[in-house]
Amino acid sequence: MSGPVLNKLIRVDMSTETARVEEFPEAWRLLGGRALSARILLEECDAQCDPLEAENIFVLAPGLLAGSSAPTSGRLSVGGKSPLTGGIKEANVGGEAGQDLMKLGYRVVIVTGKPSDPERRYGLDISADSVSLVPADEHKGKWNYPLIEALTQVYSKKASFISIGPAGEMQLAGASVACSDHSQNRHPARHAGRGGLGAVMGSKGLKYVAIEPGSAASRKPADKQFFQLSKKYTREFVAGPGQEPFPKWGTSVICEEANSIYTFPYKNRVEGRSPDVETLDGMRIVESFETRGGGMHNCLTGCIVKCSNIVHDANGEYKTSGLEFETLTMLGSNCAIANWEDVADLDRLCDDIGLDTIETGAAVAVYMDAGGMEFGDAEGTKQLLREIAEGTEIGRAIGNGAAAVGRAKQHHRVPTVKGQAIPAWDPRPLKAAGVTYCTSAMGADHTAGLIVDPGQAPEEFAQASQESQILNAAVDASGFCQFLMPNIEEIGEFYSSFLGEEVTREAIADMGWQCMEDEWEFNRRAGFGPEDDKMAPCMAEDAIGGETLFVWDVPDEIVAAAYERFEPRDELFTARPS
Amino acid sequence: MPVLEVPSRYRVPTRGQARVEVAGNTIRGCIVEMENRFPGFQELILDGRGNQRRFVRLFLNGEALERDALDSAIEQGDTVTIMASAAGG
Repeated sequence: MSGPVLNKLIRVDMSTETARVEEFPEAWRLLGGRALSARILLEECDAQCDPLEAENIFVLAPGLLAGSSAPTSGRLSVGGKSPLTGGIKEANVGGEAGQDLMKLGYRVVIVTGKPSDPERRYGLDISADSVSLVPADEHKGKWNYPLIEALTQVYSKKASFISIGPAGEMQLAGASVACSDHSQNRHPARHAGRGGLGAVMGSKGLKYVAIEPGSAASRKPADKQFFQLSKKYTREFVAGPGQEPFPKWGTSVICEEANSIYTFPYKNRVEGRSPDVETLDGMRIVESFETRGGGMHNCLTGCIVKCSNIVHDANGEYKTSGLEFETLTMLGSNCAIANWEDVADLDRLCDDIGLDTIETGAAVAVYMDAGGMEFGDAEGTKQLLREIAEGTEIGRAIGNGAAAVGRAKQHHRVPTVKGQAIPAWDPRPLKAAGVTYCTSAMGADHTAGLIVDPGQAPEEFAQASQESQILNAAVDASGFCQFLMPNIEEIGEFYSSFLGEEVTREAIADMGWQCMEDEWEFNRRAGFGPEDDKMAPCMAEDAIGGETLFVWDVPDEIVAAAYERFEPRDELFTARPS
Repeated sequence: MPVLEVPSRYRVPTRGQARVEVAGNTIRGCIVEMENRFPGFQELILDGRGNQRRFVRLFLNGEALERDALDSAIEQGDTVTIMASAAGG
């Protein structure tokens, strides 16, 4: 029986090729997902290690409520020291792996060491009865889709998978970790994209993780009222927010609104609006459902948001899934690629090769801006992505991210913070989000704390950023999806009912803050200082906008203020993720 | 009159109109007037209890409005923008 009481963890040592199950420490009992990953890295990982060497730790930590009947709560945190930033990183992902791990009672998988032979590949088999490393040399170099297709022939129909493509095996800093969708033939379309954690998994020689849930049931809460709470929340969401255009049609349909507030970057961010917004807008994808098939679905069991699109080609055949706003922007508008169908091809290539679409889009745009290729060259970009898998010189540079391309091409306009590409949401009109990019231990990452408010007053930036960062850390620790938009009060209610003890809203906020403190402390130990909190210079040099021009002009002292905790105000507990 | 900016996926009731001049002294008043002219519009923005829907955000002259600002006064020439909340992707 699995539940809130019985907890286990899996330790894998790739140096000795051993895997074992241990009891989950009592000290970590209330930690899950991102908060658990941060604590493990702080306590067990040498922060000054080489991210691609044996001393780094690769963490797979489902959120605390994963595997339970709470709606849309099965997300997985992938953690480690990032080869992209040199700091701590957590990338959050859907798919079924987080649910299955927790149904089996495994709160976390901790992978250390490195095989003596870098040419070897391994799989990690996880079931209720056993955990073991298995040889996987036959899968060396496989792209994610054929890999999962092969694995589904070997493992049961219920198995879920975590995998890397060739980018991870080549240990490129833009490599992602793929998780299989719960339906749709378990396509590897869900990606823990940011920070290059696929390279960390690759450095361990780990090609895939296969989780066999068997007949494991949902985790049982301590308080049966939990079921009522879940039902009530689900009922109200489905009747209300679930009927709204977003999330009904997913993030891709927000292109036009983002464009209207100058956060739909164009041509390596020299402009904030794209002339191609009509042909990139996700509404075109929605329209394609009628003639081609495809549609919306949930990427993990128990998800009531169902914001993931399934995109078919002109022949009605599956092409890709989870084609999001960020991808349409960074691989579309930012590269002046005008057609959503080309971006769908690029998304599929990224998923297959195992690449973060945000980092890759930014890298291609820097390459174009530096004269390596014409802006708007969709076919050239597809070939460039294939070159990543082939390991050519320019392919490797693109695969290592925007900063690497900037160095290779000696180009001045490289929109990154802490070495990580700035996502679509632009810090020039959205300055509080820029404060997040500067102060988050993970660099420019909108999921760390996005604030969409172009008219905000400067004195509000730091507190708005901090509150958003606390909320998002709490959400990422819980296993809830940010698109469910739970607030801290609601997370506290779910925790209390699930654990059978009062977990106040203040305790949830403190846990989110502690997660951030753990991450900052890791980075301090890694050698990070205030000089690393600088926005990319091009954000201060290149103004965007219309009548009002937007430029990054936030003083350092306002950025630094986000590190000092503000007195919690009521909004902190009731605000929802942006 | 105030102007309401309507993103594409809210334009079925407005029959494609992206910017609509609408009479009203508050945002709620503008939404009610929109409903009178374009039936079906209000339910996209407000739930059955008259509260702002969870995934809807409203901006007044480019500044994000608090969720309890529906009854705040607006002036002639103000621009109200509708936008969805969507953090990730």
